[in-house]
Amino acid sequence: MNIVVCIKQVPDVDDIKWTKENNLDRTQMLSKINPYDEWALDYAIKIKKSKSVDNVIITVISMGPNQAEESLRYCLAKGADRAILLSDKFFAASDTLVTAKILSCAIKKFVPDFDLILTGQLAPDGDTAQVPVSLAQLLGLADANHIVDVYKIDKNQTLVAQKIDNTIRMIELQNPCLFSVKKECDKSYVPKIADYIRAQGAAVERYGAVDLELQKEEVGFIGSPTVVYQSYRPVIEKNTIEIKENYSRTIMDFLLKGK
Amino acid sequence: MMEKIAIYCEFDYRNRVLGEVSYELISKAFELKNQASSLCGAQFEIDAVVIADELPLECVKKAYRCGANRVILIKNRIFNAFSQTIMSAAFIEYYKHNNSRIILFPATFQGRLIAPRITTMLDTGLVADCTGVEFIVKDRELKLAPTRPTFGSELMATILSKKLPECATIRPHTFKIKEYESLEGEFVEFDYFTYPDYRIKLLKTLVDDKEDLSDFSNAKIVLCAGLGIAGNKNREYLDKLQKLAHLTGAKFACTRKLVDFNLVSRANQIGQTGSTVQADIYIGFGVSGALQHICGMKNSKTIVAINTDENAPIFDYCDYKIVYDAKVIIDELLAQLFDNE
Repeated sequence: MNIVVCIKQVPDVDDIKWTKENNLDRTQMLSKINPYDEWALDYAIKIKKSKSVDNVIITVISMGPNQAEESLRYCLAKGADRAILLSDKFFAASDTLVTAKILSCAIKKFVPDFDLILTGQLAPDGDTAQVPVSLAQLLGLADANHIVDVYKIDKNQTLVAQKIDNTIRMIELQNPCLFSVKKECDKSYVPKIADYIRAQGAAVERYGAVDLELQKEEVGFIGSPTVVYQSYRPVIEKNTIEIKENYSRTIMDFLLKGK
Repeated sequence: MMEKIAIYCEFDYRNRVLGEVSYELISKAFELKNQASSLCGAQFEIDAVVIADELPLECVKKAYRCGANRVILIKNRIFNAFSQTIMSAAFIEYYKHNNSRIILFPATFQGRLIAPRITTMLDTGLVADCTGVEFIVKDRELKLAPTRPTFGSELMATILSKKLPECATIRPHTFKIKEYESLEGEFVEFDYFTYPDYRIKLLKTLVDDKEDLSDFSNAKIVLCAGLGIAGNKNREYLDKLQKLAHLTGAKFACTRKLVDFNLVSRANQIGQTGSTVQADIYIGFGVSGALQHICGMKNSKTIVAINTDENAPIFDYCDYKIVYDAKVIIDELLAQLFDNE
């Protein structure tokens, strides 16, 4: 069984740096794998270890700058079998539709016999949750999101649990299918030093627009239907009052008042 | 030339009415229509498009009062809240005959599933989860300019679409419903024939009635623990704060670091990879205020922050600031409660 996990390297939201013009200063920020995508990989590894399906091969795919290779190597260390980096200067500033197009082209070309695609529910930097849905549409797949568990999987079907508020739905998808996860997997493998060493020696395949037979007009800033017109940081207007005495009395008043 | 704004109206299958957000979007579209006319004389009509098996008359009338020129019901008995693929195809059927210039969707669970599907089919852009939308004139052209928060609301971005239709999903409760008794409209319905999507099957729906620790939707008071009260990974004050929450009927929460250190369960985490709270009162005990945490709590009505570091970022977002050791305050609060007993 062929499982594809799409991952994104995102800036660490604990460590945001701004330029003088109030833009994100990505060069000064640490990056790491989107936590939701890491959970998706954990589910893929869980499926692989469950032995309910044979010969599982996990391919992780990421579109991003050269640095995204680090996140892919981390996935290899965790247990992915194959890593693909889609990197090209013409891919820069791709919006959700174009990102989904690039990913769909790569999957069709390099993992054509996939059975399952897993993604994170969203990425905390953009928080659009649009790429998985677009990708499912472009590949013509049945899909489900807000997935919190995978119950059963065989060659033809995947049984997943979707949770929205306090409603849980058990959904059966015909393979090939796509689902996006929003909850960490109960089994998450933490790589050991030997895993990192193995991952450093493994190959990361790299492809650009030419390899995907995409024209530069179709991708990146030019090809994206949406464009950022302006951005600004909202002003916080809080008239903060500093409490300088009777701390616990004041807090207790809040606690009693709010009841 | 008359152009169209289409509103994707979500049908609430449980209560068998249109969701409130539909009227919010129609009301906003009515404002946009007036704005376009005063900006450059452009004329718009509003279509409220509903995909359902039936639609009560009172919903249709309310849609007119909010400003819909037409209410269009696409009928099929196999539609339910779960058939996004065929509902998207049904909407495309409407679009083919109407060519709307603008489509607004609610950024609800269903809307955020259907909208990207429809815009991908139409090969156009989609701006997600907007909290503002207006018309602007750019290079002598009328453009829809939706604005959305990104990076945990730390950055607002106004995003334009180079292609038509211009589409956006709009966050519920963003715009007010405005009704005008004098407004009337036209009702159109058509049947849409299709087969169910056999690739996806809903086997069972369960309601999780166990207390969901990550459900903060009804929390009035939230007591949130930060790393400041768990120095050296010591649980003592986490347990004390949990006890205080229990005694006062408040909800106990924590920041991400405490989850990463395995000190508290993820169900209690507030922030970007955890839950979002809109409590009456949020009190942060030793919380420094990383952005991913702030975006999960900043919509609380009253925010109280206790931290020994007077430059902690959380103080920029709070209503009440206490520069003091939260651990001492926790001890004093527990002592007060026991004195009263």
